[in-house]
Amino acid sequence: MIQLFNVIKNYGSGKPALDDVSIKIEKGEFVFLTGPSGAGKTTILKILFGWEHYEEGQVLVQGINVGRLDAGNIHTLRRSMGVIFQDYKLLPNKTVFENVAFAQEVTNRDRKKIKFKTWEALKNVGLTPKKDSFPAQLSGGEQQRVAIARAMVNTPPIILADEPTGNLDQEISSEILKLFEEINRNGATIVFATHSQEILKPGKHRVIVLNRGKVVSS
Amino acid sequence: MNSATQTLLTSLRTTVSNIRANKQTFLISVMTIAISVGILGLFLIIFFNLNALLTSWNQQVQLVVYLKNDISPSEKSDLKDIFKSNSKIQSMEEVSKEKAWEEFKLTQKNSVGLELDLGFNPLPDSYKIRFKASENRSRHISEFAGQLQKNRGVESVEYGEKWIDRFEKFMIFCQLFLLGVGVLLSLGLILIISNTIRLSIYSRQDEIELMLLIGATPSFVKIPFIFEGILQGLAGSFVSLGFMGAVYSYLKTEFRPSIDSLARGMELQFISQPFLLMLVGLSILIGFVASYISTYQYMQVLNKR
Ligand SMILES: Nc1ncnc2c1ncn2[C@@H]1O[C@H](COP(=O)(O)OP(=O)(O)OP(=O)(O)O)[C@@H](O)[C@H]1O
Ligand SMILES: [Mg+2]
Repeated sequence: MIQLFNVIKNYGSGKPALDDVSIKIEKGEFVFLTGPSGAGKTTILKILFGWEHYEEGQVLVQGINVGRLDAGNIHTLRRSMGVIFQDYKLLPNKTVFENVAFAQEVTNRDRKKIKFKTWEALKNVGLTPKKDSFPAQLSGGEQQRVAIARAMVNTPPIILADEPTGNLDQEISSEILKLFEEINRNGATIVFATHSQEILKPGKHRVIVLNRGKVVSS
Repeated sequence: MNSATQTLLTSLRTTVSNIRANKQTFLISVMTIAISVGILGLFLIIFFNLNALLTSWNQQVQLVVYLKNDISPSEKSDLKDIFKSNSKIQSMEEVSKEKAWEEFKLTQKNSVGLELDLGFNPLPDSYKIRFKASENRSRHISEFAGQLQKNRGVESVEYGEKWIDRFEKFMIFCQLFLLGVGVLLSLGLILIISNTIRLSIYSRQDEIELMLLIGATPSFVKIPFIFEGILQGLAGSFVSLGFMGAVYSYLKTEFRPSIDSLARGMELQFISQPFLLMLVGLSILIGFVASYISTYQYMQVLNKR
C-alpha cells in the first residue's frame, strides 16, 4: 500500500531531514508515526502526498510511483488521501460547513450528496453546532476537528494525519482516536503522526519511531 | 448533471466570487479594455468612412476621350472597337460637340449667372466612359488612357485626378496603420489584463494551494481565472461598443451637412458588422490570452517548488 525505499530528503541546510528511510505500511493498517520534534514525521507525510520532493529512494503509494507524478496528474494520488495538516489549512473566509464542503467541490464530487456528506462528517467530529462559524471564531481544538472532518468527508482509502490531536484535551483526543479507529475498521489505511505518549499507551497499533531523520524502530 | 457541467458551474461561481472580491480591479480592467478597443473602433470608423468616400468618388470617375476635329470615320470606328473589346468598360456615351456646348453653357448660366455666347463652339466631340468597379480600377483607367492617347484621332484624355490614386495609397497606409495600432493595443491590453488576473490569483494563493493539496486538477484551479479574463474582455468590448455608438450618432447628426458636401447622398458609416464581431472577438481573445498567460506562469512557479 505505502512503501518508502531508502528515501533521502534534504531541505538544503546541512543534515538531511530524512536519512535513508524505509517503511512499509500494509493496506488497512493503522500506524503511528512518532518521534521528537524535528524527527521528520511531517516530512514523511508531505512526501507521501507529493508536497515535497525527495532526493533519493523510491516512494510507492497504491502502486503509484510518487516521484514520477507531475503537476498534471498528482491529483490522482491526492484524491486517494485525506490529509490533516499540522497547521489545519482552513480557509478563513469560509464557514466550517463551507470548508468541509469545499474538499468535495474541488474534487468534483456529486453535488447532490455534498450537503449530506458534509453534515455527516461534521456530526462525526461533533461540530454541527458550529457549522456556520468561521475558523477564527473557533478554538484550536475545534479548528483541528474541522480539518479532520474535511479529510474524512470524501472517505479516502488513506488518511494522513499530522498531529490531529495536538490541540485536543485528553477526553476529545480519545474520542477522535476512536473515530480514526472506526474509519480504519471500515477499510482505510491510517498514518497518524503524533508525539503524544498518552495516545500510544494502549499499544493497540503499530508504532514507527523516528529520530533525526532515521527510523529507530518500526 | 454530468461532471463537466458541474465543473463549469463551480468555476463560474468561483469566477463571480473572485470578481466580487476584487470588484475595483475588475472594473478598472474592463474600462481599460473598453477605452483601448474604443480607440481602435474610432480609427475603424474613420477608416470605413474614408473608404466609403473613396468608393463614392471612384464611382464618379470617368474617362473622357476628346476627339480631334479632323478624325476620320474609320478612325472613329476603330476607337469604338477598342472600347467594345475592353471588358472592363461599363458604359460608353457619345457626346457630340453641340451637346457638350449646350451642357457647358447651362452649367455656366446656373453657377455664374452669365449667358455665354462666343459665336462658335470651342468644344470637341467626346466619349464618356465609365468603368466597372474592380480591385485595381484606377490603375486600369490610367493604363487604358495612356493606350488611347497614342491613338491618332484622339486629341486628349481626361480622367479622375491623380489624387484619387494618391488617396488610394493613403488608404493602404491607413490599413497598415490600423493593423499596427490594433497589434500594439492588443499587446498592451494583454500585459495589463494578465497583471490584474495575476493580482486576482495572488489574492487567492492560500486557497489555490489548498485546492491543489486536496486533489483539485490544475485546470479546475485555472478555469475560473480564465473565465475572469474572458469576462473582462467581453464586458470591455460591450462598453466600448456603447461608447462608439454614442460617438457615431453624435458625429452623424453634427456633421451631416459637411459629409453631404463631400459626397452627395453618403451617410456616415458605422463599423460594419463583421468588424464589430471582430472587435468583440478580439477583446475576448485578449482576455483569454492574458489570463491563460498568468495562470500558466503561476502554475510554473508552483511546480518549481
Ligand atoms: N520547509 C523546510 N525547509 C527547511 N527545513 C525544513 C523544512 N521543513 C522541515 N524542515 C526541517 O526538517 C526536519 C524535519 O522536520 P519535520 O517537520 O518533518 O519534523 P516533525 O517530526 O514533523 O516535527 P514536529 O513534531 O515538530 O512537527 C527539521 O529539522 C526541520 O527543521
Ligand atoms: Mg510535524
